[in-house]
Amino acid sequence: MLSERERERYKRQIPIFGPEGQDRLKAAHIFVAGAGGLGSPAAIYLAVAGVGTITIVDMDTVELSNLNRQILHNDRGLGKKKTISAIETLRDYNPEITINAIDTPISETNVRTLVGRVDGIVDAMDNYPARYLLNEVALEKKIPLFHGAIRGFFGQATTIIPGKTPCLACIVRNPPPAEVSPVIGVTAGVIGSVQATEVVKYLTGNGDLLAGRLFIWDGLAGSAEEVAVAQNPACPACGTGAGRTPSTEHP
Amino acid sequence: MNVNVKFFARFRELLGTDIVTEAREGMTIAAVVSAAAKKNREGYDAIFDQKGNFLEFVIVMQNGQRVETADAAAIPVADGDVIAIFPPVAGG
Repeated sequence: MLSERERERYKRQIPIFGPEGQDRLKAAHIFVAGAGGLGSPAAIYLAVAGVGTITIVDMDTVELSNLNRQILHNDRGLGKKKTISAIETLRDYNPEITINAIDTPISETNVRTLVGRVDGIVDAMDNYPARYLLNEVALEKKIPLFHGAIRGFFGQATTIIPGKTPCLACIVRNPPPAEVSPVIGVTAGVIGSVQATEVVKYLTGNGDLLAGRLFIWDGLAGSAEEVAVAQNPACPACGTGAGRTPSTEHP
Repeated sequence: MNVNVKFFARFRELLGTDIVTEAREGMTIAAVVSAAAKKNREGYDAIFDQKGNFLEFVIVMQNGQRVETADAAAIPVADGDVIAIFPPVAGG
């Protein structure tokens, strides 16, 4: 049930999905993997929308070069742990929700415990090894994974519903070479907001998810396109060998 | 026959998009894309390795269907095909 204050706070959005939709947001727990460029807008919009519990994970400290895009953090927060900075910002935005911020790298050994039993995972990582870990856990626990990635003025997003859509390893079979990606904050804003949009749609049962569709944003051209993506029967993560590589299937 | 090559994101920035290419009978996806990409060295090098094969991470689609990069040099194009070439990005 919503308090009077909550009904007022969410007055302009409750007409979109009803008080039941707002209740669903309040009851939900979303895991945001990364408090950087994508994690910032995604977590802020989920917080102000009234997602009841947000767990955000990051291992870094706020640096000056983060501030062109990571709007959870600001100049006063330089040198702070991103978890501290993130929790302060999110609490300022919405003190009526629960925020957990965990200062740790996401690794093979801790990812299952970190994710726990959340209702959705926002992929706000900056590298594919970490993303594939989240993908594996999402598949194992049958939790939706809201993927986003950016470079420069370009971005991509898709929603992975385990058992229904292709998984991240079906779509991005070979990651691009590792690099420090150049990026403008607005691109993180666009894609992080698309991810948050997907989470809100999923939780409230509204609209058509980016399920089986890769959304491609080209800020330079000022255009968005989508490509249909299909499950890869030979996928090492979700194919017949579920989580095993072909080499372990056929020793 | 005509084949439309659509480059996305960084590839589009370097090479343009919706490039209608005159393809000869039996030309493969790789050959058509290579011809469309040759006008800009940086664009070509972002998509192909030194042997002229698609770089592994590049996503290649023929009429909306995913094509393995390794197979793109063996699959012929047909008149009216739309070939989409897309670089997944990694930053966050």
